[in-house]
Amino acid sequence: MLNHHPLTRWILGYEAQRKRMLKKAPHGPLRDFLAVPFPALNTPFEQIPILAVDFETTGLDAVADKLLSVGCVDLFHHQIKLGSSYHEIINSKGRLKADNVTIHQITDDQKDQGKPLAEVVEQLLNRLAGKVMLVHFSRIERQFLRQACLELYGMAPPLPIIDTLVVAKKRLDKRDVAYDPSELRLSALRANYGFPDHYAHNALNDAIATAELLLAQVNERGESMTLRQLIL
Amino acid sequence: MDSALTEISEFVQAIPPLDLLPSKLIEQIVKEISICYVRRGKQLPPQGISDKNIYILRKGALSYVTQDNELLGKYGEGDICTVFCLDNDEKINVSTDEDTLLYSICYKTFEQLVSEYPDVIAFFHQTSEQRLNKKMLQVNEDAILNSSLLNSSIANFYHSPVVTVGPNTSIQQAAILMTERGFSCLVIAQDTNPLGIVTDKDIRRRCVAQGLDILQPVSAIMTDNMTTIDIKNTAYDALMMMTQKHIHHLPVTANNQLKGMVTVTDLMNNEGQNAVNITSVIHKAKSVSELTEISKMIPKLQIRMAKLGTTADHVGKSISAITMAFTIRLIEMAENLLGPAPVPYAWLAAGSQARQEQFAHSDQDNALIISNDMQPQHSYWFKDLATFVSDGLAACGFIYCPGEVMATNAKWCQTQAQWSKYFAKWIDTPDPKALMHCSVFFDLTTVHGDSCLLDEVRMKMLKTTQRSTLFIAHLSRNALNLRPPLGFFRDFVLIQDGENKATLDLKHNGIAPIVDLARIYALSEGIASVNTIERLQQAAGTPSLTKASAANLIDAYEFLSMLRMEHQAKKLQQGEQPNNYLPPKEISKLEREHLKDAFKVIKTMQDSRQSTL
Repeated sequence: MLNHHPLTRWILGYEAQRKRMLKKAPHGPLRDFLAVPFPALNTPFEQIPILAVDFETTGLDAVADKLLSVGCVDLFHHQIKLGSSYHEIINSKGRLKADNVTIHQITDDQKDQGKPLAEVVEQLLNRLAGKVMLVHFSRIERQFLRQACLELYGMAPPLPIIDTLVVAKKRLDKRDVAYDPSELRLSALRANYGFPDHYAHNALNDAIATAELLLAQVNERGESMTLRQLIL
Repeated sequence: MDSALTEISEFVQAIPPLDLLPSKLIEQIVKEISICYVRRGKQLPPQGISDKNIYILRKGALSYVTQDNELLGKYGEGDICTVFCLDNDEKINVSTDEDTLLYSICYKTFEQLVSEYPDVIAFFHQTSEQRLNKKMLQVNEDAILNSSLLNSSIANFYHSPVVTVGPNTSIQQAAILMTERGFSCLVIAQDTNPLGIVTDKDIRRRCVAQGLDILQPVSAIMTDNMTTIDIKNTAYDALMMMTQKHIHHLPVTANNQLKGMVTVTDLMNNEGQNAVNITSVIHKAKSVSELTEISKMIPKLQIRMAKLGTTADHVGKSISAITMAFTIRLIEMAENLLGPAPVPYAWLAAGSQARQEQFAHSDQDNALIISNDMQPQHSYWFKDLATFVSDGLAACGFIYCPGEVMATNAKWCQTQAQWSKYFAKWIDTPDPKALMHCSVFFDLTTVHGDSCLLDEVRMKMLKTTQRSTLFIAHLSRNALNLRPPLGFFRDFVLIQDGENKATLDLKHNGIAPIVDLARIYALSEGIASVNTIERLQQAAGTPSLTKASAANLIDAYEFLSMLRMEHQAKKLQQGEQPNNYLPPKEISKLEREHLKDAFKVIKTMQDSRQSTL
C-alpha cells in the first residue's frame, strides 16, 4: 500500500501535517496546539503522553448533531492521573431529545448552565497538545472534534489516535475466530479483563474506563510496545 | 463533582479508616490517585513509581511475604496495602496474585492531606499493638458509657433515708455516727433544709490534717452549696455529674426536698446486680427442679450483659460465679441428703470455670480432692455426692464433660496425696496425654470445702514447674500447635500456608492460644492465679513476659473475647446453640483489621516462645 511507504508517511504523516498546518493556522488555541510536536512513532508506550478522551453527543452525525460534554484524563508512565481529569458540559443551541437524555443523563437545565463550545474545545486542545488521543471507537470523537475546529477556526488539525476498539479488533481478527461485534464494546472488553463495572455514558468516566482498558491491553502483550504498534 | 470521580470517591470512602474523612477531603485524595494496572506474578511497586505509596486495591489480589518467603498476608478488593508506607525493619516483598487494578497515592501527600485526622494517620503509622490498645481503651470506655445507666432512672439506685445531722453537731459526733452506720458521708441539714455535705475526706483534710478541734461544729468542715441531682435524671447523668465535679456522693432531691443519696459504687455495681440477684435466688432454692428453672435465666443474662456493652471479662466472671453458686447449692443439698462428709474434702472446678472465663452452655469440668485421712469405705459417700451434683448441674444446662473430667470419674475423685502424685507425674513425664490434662488441671479452683487441700498441692506443683524447664518446653511446644490465622482475604480466613478457611474459630485460633501462653508464664513463674488476665498481669515484668507484651496480650485477649461474647449473644438471641465459629462475612472491615492486629500480637508472642525452645 502506498500509505506504508516511508516517503508517503513523511508527506502524509501527522507530524508532517502538523508542521504544514502550523504555518497557515490563525493565532489562538489551534495554533498553540499545533506548535507542540507529537511523539515519534518509535516512542515506547510508557513514554507516550496520552490523553484519554470521550464525548457525549446528541447523535452520530457530526454536522447535524451537537457535542454535549467532554471528559479527558492523562495517561503517562503506565499511570492514569486522576488529578489531571477534566469534565465539562457544553451549552449548545436547541432542545435535547428525550430518548437521548436517557442515555447521557444530561438534562436541558444542566446543558444551559454549561460552557460555550469555544471555551471547552480550547481547553481540550490545550490538554491534547503534544499528546496522542486515546478513544474507544474513534469515529465520534474524531469527527466531532474536527467539525468543532472547522466551525471555530476554519480548519481541522491532524490527530494521532489510539483506539482501544481497534487494538482489540486486531487481536480478535488475528485469532481467526468469528466473534460478535458486541464483544468489542467498552464494557464487554473491560469485563474480559475482570474490571469492575463502570458508570457508562459519562464522558470522564468513559475516558478513565478506556485508559484502564488500554493499560490492560498493553500489559497483556508482556513485551514493550511502541506508538507505531498502537496508533490507528 | 464529576460523576466519574464520584464513583471512585464512593469506593474509597467506604474503606476504613478513610470512612472517617469528610467528602471534601476524599475528593482531594481522589485527585491524588494514579490508577495502575499490574499483571499477575509481578512485584510491587509498579513500574515508574519510586515514592513510598499506599495502594488501594480496586480489583485483583496481592500477597506480601518476608524475605524468607514466609506469607504474611494477602490483600483483596477494597483493602489498602500499607507495606510501603511503614518504616519496616524487615524487607517485605509484595507481588500480584492476579491481574490487579490499583489506586496508588503518594503517602507523603496523603499524610499531609489527612494531617488533622490522627485516627487515620494512626492506622498507617501505628503498630498492631498500638492500634489494638487504642481500640480496647475505647471499648472499655464504651462499656461504662453504654451501660444500662443511660436507661435507668436514679430512682433505682439511690438509698434513703439519708443520714442527716444538725449544723451544730460536733465533728466527733458526726464521725461516730458515720462509723456506726457505715456511711462515708452525711448531709448537714437545718430541719429538712439541706445546708451541706461532709465526707470521710473532709474529716481527714479539713479537720485532722489541719489540727482542728474535733468538738468544733461539723458545719465548719462541710461543703456548702452542694451539688444535688433531681430524681428525674438518669443514672448516667448522675455518673457524668460526679465525674465532672470529681465527687463520689450525690444527694438526690425531689421537688427540692432531700430524698436520698447515690454513690459512685452504687452505679458501678449496677452491672453485677443481676448476677448477684441470680446468685441469691440460687442460695434460696429448695430443690433441683427450682435450680433448673433459675438456670434458664443464664443465657438471658449473658445476652443482656453483652448488649449493655459489659466487658467479656466481667461476663465470664459473672457466669462463672453463677455456676459456682449452683454447684455450692447442689453440694449443700447433697450433704443434707447424705449426711456430713466423713473426712474433709473440696469440690474443684477446672478449665474455663476455674479461670472465671465461662459462658452459658459450657461443659462441666470438675473434680474432688479429699483429705489423706480418707478410708476405702468413704469412697461411696463421695461417689454419691459427685453423682448428685453432676446430675444436678446437667439438669441446669451444664452438659457432662465429653472428656469425663468430672468428679464422678474415680480417676478425678482422689486424695490430696494422689493429686500430688498426678501432678508430679505429668510434670516429670510430659507425654501427649499428660499435656492434654495440663490445660484442664493446671487451671483448678476450689468451689466448696477446705481450700487448703488444693492450695497445698498447688504450692508443691508450682515449685516443681518453676524448676522444670523440660516440662515448660513440652508445654510450650504443645501450645504452639494452635496458631492464629494471618488475617482475611476477601471473605475467607487466611491461614499460615496461604489456604483459605470459611469460618474463624475464635476459640482455637485466638482465645485458646493466649490462655495457653498465660498458663505457661504462670507455671514458669510460680503464679497461683488461674484467670488469664490475672496471670498475664502478674507475669508482667518477670523474666517470662515483659510488661509491654503482657499489655498487648491482654488487649488481644479482651478483643477476641468481646467478639466471642457478641457472637454468642447473637446466637442465643436467635435461639441457637452458641458456638465459637464466626463467618468472615459477619465481621466488619474494621473488626477484621483489629482481628489481624490481635493475631499478630499472638504470633509475635508465640514466635518468641518458640525461640526459647
